[in-house]
Amino acid sequence: MSDDLHAVDRADEPRVTSRRLDPRVQIVWAARTFVVAVVLGVAVFGLSRVLVSLPPWAPAATTVGVALVGVAYTVARYRLWTYEIRDDALYLERGVLTRVRTVVPFVRLQHVDSSRGPIERTLGLASVVVYTAGSRGADVTVPGLTPEGADDLRERLKRLAIRAEGEDAV
Amino acid sequence: MSRRLAPLSVPYRIAERGSQLAFGLLVVLVSGGNAVGPYVVGPLLAVGIVGGFVLLLAAYETAYYRRFEYELTADTLDIRSGVVARREREIPYQRVQNVDIRRNAIQRVLGIAAVSFETAGGSQTEAKLRFVSFDEAKRLQSEIGRHKRRAAPEEGEEAGAEAELLFSLSPRELAIVGALSFDLRLPGAVFVLVSSSTPFLSTFVPDGFGMEVAVLGALGVVVAVALFSWLVGVAVAVLNYYDFRLSRTRDELQYERGLVRRFDGSIPLEKIQTLTIRDNPLKRVFGYATLFIETAGYAPGQGQSRGSEAAVPLARRDRVLALANDIEPFGEVSFERPPRRVRRRYVARYLIVLGVVTAAAFGLSAASGRPFPWYGPLVLVPAVPVAAHLKWRHRGYWLGPDHVVTRNGVLRRETKVVPYDRVQTVIDTRSPFQRRWRLATVTADTAGSLSIVNQDAAAVDVDEERADDLRAELAERTRVAVARRREQRLERRREALGVAATDVRVDREAGQNDAASSDGEASRSGPGPNGELSSESGPGADGEASREPESSPDSDGEASREPESDPE
Repeated sequence: MSDDLHAVDRADEPRVTSRRLDPRVQIVWAARTFVVAVVLGVAVFGLSRVLVSLPPWAPAATTVGVALVGVAYTVARYRLWTYEIRDDALYLERGVLTRVRTVVPFVRLQHVDSSRGPIERTLGLASVVVYTAGSRGADVTVPGLTPEGADDLRERLKRLAIRAEGEDAV
Repeated sequence: MSRRLAPLSVPYRIAERGSQLAFGLLVVLVSGGNAVGPYVVGPLLAVGIVGGFVLLLAAYETAYYRRFEYELTADTLDIRSGVVARREREIPYQRVQNVDIRRNAIQRVLGIAAVSFETAGGSQTEAKLRFVSFDEAKRLQSEIGRHKRRAAPEEGEEAGAEAELLFSLSPRELAIVGALSFDLRLPGAVFVLVSSSTPFLSTFVPDGFGMEVAVLGALGVVVAVALFSWLVGVAVAVLNYYDFRLSRTRDELQYERGLVRRFDGSIPLEKIQTLTIRDNPLKRVFGYATLFIETAGYAPGQGQSRGSEAAVPLARRDRVLALANDIEPFGEVSFERPPRRVRRRYVARYLIVLGVVTAAAFGLSAASGRPFPWYGPLVLVPAVPVAAHLKWRHRGYWLGPDHVVTRNGVLRRETKVVPYDRVQTVIDTRSPFQRRWRLATVTADTAGSLSIVNQDAAAVDVDEERADDLRAELAERTRVAVARRREQRLERRREALGVAATDVRVDREAGQNDAASSDGEASRSGPGPNGELSSESGPGADGEASREPESSPDSDGEASREPESDPE
């Protein structure tokens, strides 16, 4: 049984596939930064009314400024986000300021979920969440996948986890 | 055969609950009576009501005792309880992680003890027996240990049954633990009180009164508070750690401690995730250290109370190392240090901190109109290179045959020992500052419970290229170690049971399906249910998302988690 799996997996997959996210994930991230920008703008507006006198354009400027920074950050974040399905592990590389590279050995996969948030749903995107028993386990999320891509990734990770286990245990 | 609690638990529970309840009631009734008027609730009536409650309580506790039964079956601990609403629980032995026994002074006189069963996955106690006789408590502890072993039988079943003493705290060490303990609660309270009422207090100091007197008075208070909290600290430490001993059976650590209240607990060796040896400059000079044992999910005494009960509070360094090596044989460690250029980074960092502090002091001095020597912090400049060097010197990591060992910190130095097969994920982070120096931090994440508040084992500030290797190496060694361990386990069980592998799998599955999601059992054997799947998955194959290799691509794990899809 496990031999079959090897055959299937090794035949149709290159050893390492480095992948990027769906570009539309940038919209999801940008939308979040816009929300933050608006909230900050409102906060500045409130502040100017109650406490200190600020120039009337300050709230708008805050919103626009934060939104611009957010967009730049989002683009950078998208450019730097990659993941690879390696022979023995899932490998993620991400982070704009602090670069984070995470290696999740397949033997450590506890289960794999796909999830779709509200913004993701409207854009037709999905995420895959990989759970390990680690104290930072739920950290491992691969966002920006198409629903089919997410299902596909989930299935592949499952199969690889089973394969890793099968190889070792029997 | 089902058993009951100890008969003496009835009067004890009545007394315990009754005294709380009666006191509360009295307070309410008497104060309430005064408020409403003595005509409504007289003292006599109050006593009458309280008496009624006590009677009710006695009836309740008797019923509780009569309706509480527990039983050790072949593979579960069954508890049937509840006076009005009945509750029946079956706890598989596999899930029981710790069996803790507690006795306070009164309970010791009565010869009864509270037993709590802790399971993985959460700090909550799974079940409590209040109370059974102490002998019965010990019997339960060893029986459950025995049952767990039987579920995973090995060679020499009875050989390792009796405990071997690994460590006991010497009186001298206890004295030092006491002497170094401060109870911080009182100073905290005093600090809050004083800081919130300073303006108020200052109105009490007469103008003519010399500043000196006020300062002296404050100093006196500080000394008194310090002395008192030190004495409390000594008392608490002695009460907690008196006659601390740690012993091991073949697959459990057992500890005992306490002067008035005795605590008896067990930690399965299988659940141990990380050993942490902590010291500080003072301890290093005198050759002492502290040891913490981290387990998955539940660590005895973690979370609620302070300190780890399973930890060795303080002992000679060589003894701590020997003990750690007994628990996890990692052998002789030779640390690899970060590159030397790291020291320059630390010099820069400390100088920046000093600069900021000095600037703040300058600002304060200028703004307050009462200039003071704001350049004071600059005295520390000569110390900066020394501190940077020390910081560099105490950092290190080592990849042993079966363990990764890391060391960090000067004032609170922590050496962490993580067996490869306990590593969950390997995380490599590079902050913008680290990237400037071409450095990286490689963290080995485990399922240890201390790790959420504390730091994981991490090789900090290693060279970028080395980090790449280290990351790959750690992941690979983890994979190999997990595989080897699993194979050994399967092999042992197969031998012991003398049955075909598929039967073993089904058996294991039955045990593991009960286990909570991210518990220790799963963490130590990797993705639990997956192993079973590689065979033509037997009966009872449900549960984890990683089922069905080929079929049904749709939605089995789909809805189970809500989309917490914010990666940062």
